[in-house]
Amino acid sequence: MSMPAEHTLDAPVDLAAELARCAAGERDALRRIYDAEGARMIGVALRIVGRRAVAEEVVHDAFLQIWQKAAGFAPERGHARSWLYAIVRHRALNVLRVETRTDLVEDFEPMGLTSAEEDAEAIVSRLSEASALRRCLERLDPTRRSLIVLAYVHGLTHGELAGRLRVPLGTMKSWMRRSLSSLRECLP
Amino acid sequence: MSDATTRDELAAEHALGVLEGEDAARADALMEQDPAFAAAVTEWRVRLSDLDAIADRAAPSGDLWGRIESGLAATPAKPESSPASVEAATAHVLPFRSAGAARPSIWQSLPAWRAATGFAAAAAVVLAVGAAYFADKAARTPTLVAVLLEEGSAQPAAVVNAFADGRTELVPLRAIAAPPGRALEIWTLWDRAVGPKSVGLIGEARATRLDLSKLPKPGPNQLFEITVEPASGSPTGRPTGPILMKGLTATAL
Repeated sequence: MSMPAEHTLDAPVDLAAELARCAAGERDALRRIYDAEGARMIGVALRIVGRRAVAEEVVHDAFLQIWQKAAGFAPERGHARSWLYAIVRHRALNVLRVETRTDLVEDFEPMGLTSAEEDAEAIVSRLSEASALRRCLERLDPTRRSLIVLAYVHGLTHGELAGRLRVPLGTMKSWMRRSLSSLRECLP
Repeated sequence: MSDATTRDELAAEHALGVLEGEDAARADALMEQDPAFAAAVTEWRVRLSDLDAIADRAAPSGDLWGRIESGLAATPAKPESSPASVEAATAHVLPFRSAGAARPSIWQSLPAWRAATGFAAAAAVVLAVGAAYFADKAARTPTLVAVLLEEGSAQPAAVVNAFADGRTELVPLRAIAAPPGRALEIWTLWDRAVGPKSVGLIGEARATRLDLSKLPKPGPNQLFEITVEPASGSPTGRPTGPILMKGLTATAL
């Protein structure tokens, strides 16, 4: 197994090239993607679905998707990593929203504003100091920042965020749009 | 608000993953139909991707790779000619397609079975609704009922009834129209070795007779689902568009 990839820029595996090899039917290439990213992908899925066994099923399903769709990845558009993780996240969200929702709802601790913000702050503090996303998130006020972070990392919907922050759904949607708009202006 | 602004907002929310119900279905459809929208979503995914990189690594337990490899044996990598299909890969990962002949994973998948259990539970609840519907039609009691739940919201959206004489019908529980130039295609899957078969094509959710005449008699735990397809139906004979709703049959008492 290759060195763990700690950050996108340090990845030892050329994911776009490996995807091209997958498209040509090389299973070793898929294995290299798995070795480089599989553990992180389980981590990303786990943050959303909350259960280890389910997270592994998400990654299992995602890798079959990656294999089948590799030829459709357009390398000139780059972003192999975000393409791969979008598949994992989409599968995880689908499992969360459609397949295990009733189970997971019971597990949710009701969270107040403060703990939601603290949770989000802990996540943001893990971002690299050099990250443009971190710099731009830190320009938002803490509540707005937590919306974006909790939605992305834990897969919370508008409705769930509204419940956690105890604001009406319409207010939440409007906060979200304004927060995304602020990010859009700040990020490259 | 300009269209471009609206589109970018929807793209941002889709990349973030907060959309549900109709908004999610609309975003999934746009991913396939609107290259500018798909590009906007890709840009947002890249903008947010640092949040993926900070996830804790979690070493797989058991033989995850071995199971993936077994899945590959039945999943040939296939060329994708349409540029839109790149995004389709990320736009919707469909359990139904996973259940096709070449995709056994869903049938070995814990969440899938949990989902099936969930549908069964939901079906039990909604059977009460079904019972009311049939109160004035006591003469025609279905032998099997499937409650189709809307993707995203998991709300009951339609019922499929199969009768002893082989008639099978779809009864919508809410109004759902196909996007302009598109149609709603109804599918069923009873054997993954055979794969999903189309049993109907409609412009909007309305009570309709399903054509299962060339198929085996429906049984319990048979999957029915509705996807958005081109107006003339799926060009491939398999579901290609986003799932609107799906559910499994259960035996009516």
